[in-house]
Amino acid sequence: MGAPLETPTIVEPDVDETVDVARPWVVIVWNDPVNLMSYVVYVFQKLFGYGKEKATQLMLDVHHKGKAAVSFGNREQAEADVSRLHAHGLWATMQRD
Amino acid sequence: MARAPFRRNRSNGFDVVLDAGEAAVLTRLCEELTTLFSTADDGSPVVGGELGEPGPDPVLDRLFPRAYLDPTEEEAEADWQRFAHGDLVDGRRRALAVVEGTLAAAEARRGRFELTLDENQAQAWLSVLNDARLALGTRLEVTEDMDMSGLDPDDPDTAPFAVYWWLGLMEERLIDVLSG
Repeated sequence: MGAPLETPTIVEPDVDETVDVARPWVVIVWNDPVNLMSYVVYVFQKLFGYGKEKATQLMLDVHHKGKAAVSFGNREQAEADVSRLHAHGLWATMQRD
Repeated sequence: MARAPFRRNRSNGFDVVLDAGEAAVLTRLCEELTTLFSTADDGSPVVGGELGEPGPDPVLDRLFPRAYLDPTEEEAEADWQRFAHGDLVDGRRRALAVVEGTLAAAEARRGRFELTLDENQAQAWLSVLNDARLALGTRLEVTEDMDMSGLDPDDPDTAPFAVYWWLGLMEERLIDVLSG
């Protein structure tokens, strides 16, 4: 038997809870009456490299549920994805996940 | 549109055939998008054309939406607009210039316009077709279940809806060949 174990000292991590790293962002694509279903699938495949099946499922979520989460990341990544989606005419917004 | 307007050719490009009326409609839509985008960077009101009318413009709001819905992120929204908006306008203008350039260089043959696009030019065409459709659809306040298949393009009341429907057909065909 060895020496009795020392009681571990618990160090509270010094975390600023307002730091974005702890709260990733989600990019949402909203349904609209104009964009073609085939176009939305095409854009999801082109921008995110999703396979046809995943891109189609996301498009159907947008169509039937009114919106779908299409990507996650830090603020900069989410803003970049929103910009790329807007460039392709999709109605996208970002919010804290 | 009896024949497919877009076909992939053997050199990995795309052959396009439009009749004179289609080329004229597309040219006019490009002009209207040019006018629309010219007002997108200074916020001045859009005037004239079926895609534009004076005052706050739902078409510009649709083509250039907010990134943040949360009103407490107003500062982040303003930063993002400063950072991204100019690039978004420029990208749309570049696509428009490609479509106008390729249309202007099209060969007119027996009342039809023939041209060839490479992959990047075809992407620009898709972008402009979609922008034109978004702009027109927003202006016409279309809904998802509107049936426009039987509209008369020569009736002034329904002509813009017929153009909108035609843009959708063109876009579907272009997506088909780009995906194929």
